[in-house]
Amino acid sequence: MHIVEINNLSKQFGRKIAISSLSFDIKKGETVALIGPSGAGKSTLLNILAGSIPPDTGIYLLDGKPIQQYKNRRELANKIGVIRQQFDLVPALPAIHNVLAGRLGEWGFFKSMLSLFVPQDKQAAANALQRVGLLDKMHDQTSRMSGGEQQRVAMARLLVQNPEVILADEPVASLDPARAEDILEMLTKLVAEEKQTLVMSLHSVEYAKKYFSRIVALRDGEIFFDLPTEDITKEHLTGLYSLKELSQE
Amino acid sequence: MKNKVQIPRKKRRFSFVSFSILLVFALLAGSWGHILFIERAHFFELFNERNLEYAKKFFSGLFGFQEEKPAFVDKESWKNAIQLTYETLQMSVMALGFATIVAMLTVIPASRTIADGTLTVSKRWYHWILFGIIRGLYIFSRAVPELVFAMVIVFIFKPGILPGAIALALHNFGIIGKLCAEVIEDTDARPIRNLASAGASNAQILFYGIIPAVMPKFLTYILYRGEVIMRTSIVVGFVGAGGLGQQFKLSLSYFHYTEITLLLICYIILVFIADFISEGFRKAAR
Repeated sequence: MHIVEINNLSKQFGRKIAISSLSFDIKKGETVALIGPSGAGKSTLLNILAGSIPPDTGIYLLDGKPIQQYKNRRELANKIGVIRQQFDLVPALPAIHNVLAGRLGEWGFFKSMLSLFVPQDKQAAANALQRVGLLDKMHDQTSRMSGGEQQRVAMARLLVQNPEVILADEPVASLDPARAEDILEMLTKLVAEEKQTLVMSLHSVEYAKKYFSRIVALRDGEIFFDLPTEDITKEHLTGLYSLKELSQE
Repeated sequence: MKNKVQIPRKKRRFSFVSFSILLVFALLAGSWGHILFIERAHFFELFNERNLEYAKKFFSGLFGFQEEKPAFVDKESWKNAIQLTYETLQMSVMALGFATIVAMLTVIPASRTIADGTLTVSKRWYHWILFGIIRGLYIFSRAVPELVFAMVIVFIFKPGILPGAIALALHNFGIIGKLCAEVIEDTDARPIRNLASAGASNAQILFYGIIPAVMPKFLTYILYRGEVIMRTSIVVGFVGAGGLGQQFKLSLSYFHYTEITLLLICYIILVFIADFISEGFRKAAR
């Protein structure tokens, strides 16, 4: 069963082609790493998958239904959750409200207002924070937390939101290697436990090989290769990252 | 073998900054030249015998040297002055309240990032119209000084602290609105975008993403305007809007110099208290 199917997807920003006729499918439960040099179109692809920018041409079926038919954010939030680099939490709110923000799609306006004063679904928030190991920081202000902790709060929010697909746009780009591995390990573990699908863009090939079952490489808006992790060789990678300017010398 | 790197030359250009520095010097020289050689002004004439005599008279009047019973040692006068101080305080608090309420009701559609939909990730055709109307109101409110508002409003209402408060509020709501709208425009859009992808509606985004982020800065600006309102309340008093200012004008007209001293003392105490309180609030908000 394919949860994401895209066919001939393209997107242009002005005269710059970000993505040109991409096609691939993602099965339920797969963990896919998107790699490729800067400007290859990884972020654009993830934004299209998240439904935050519309593609120019092509078809994108999410769980068998065209993305345009998802009428509101609420419906989409059930299917897709997003985690980006840090700075994606509201810094002025305590961690618990940032975690409970994952429920905003389900809650009505008054319940979400009330929750700012008397947190609703406190148990769910506590469970999620427990799983990312931050239960003791539940009431701390988010801006006072470190980068790694903020990413864990963001993961707790995804746990509360509980979408079927998680899209991650370079979630570890601003962390040091130890913290980055910690976050990746936790995220892939949680995704496996929840039987979710994960698509993550990454700069590190090493991490992609270590934590993902499939690697999709983009270059200049096209698929350079799309292989199960074990089939990837050194030649694939040197081709992907080679610079045109250098090869002339 | 070349081991010296040629240092790239910085291009000298006639930039805006160097132009304005030169302009400042040119203006300084020009203006002083005009005053001294063309107008033939004589500064030291300002400090002549006659003016010195007037100043002496006025200041000794302020300190109450000629009077037997200066107002600032009189109990009744103090009572009266404290009553007026209280009225001035009422006027400024009312003014700040009115201005803040109106500004808060209008500030969201008045920010550019809401109007073009980048902050809430949603576009509506009427956003730009609302933006234009409210920004127009803000400009009008800021363009007319509080003194002019007060003069007009005193014509409509009878003199008192309410017209003063309304005049101050009319001028200040535009300032608070503009400052706060700019705070919203500077808000980091990334957390908002993420709330949207967690399924939050626009109203939820407002309360979860925007208000917590902007509140401390809003408070700073509102308190700052509160201080300014308190200081300006004396000016609108001159045209009959009540409080210390009105009495100040009257005392000045009747040459009751010691009353002026008393009023100034009360006014300074008021400003001190206002500064102290708003400083405290600002520290607490941080």
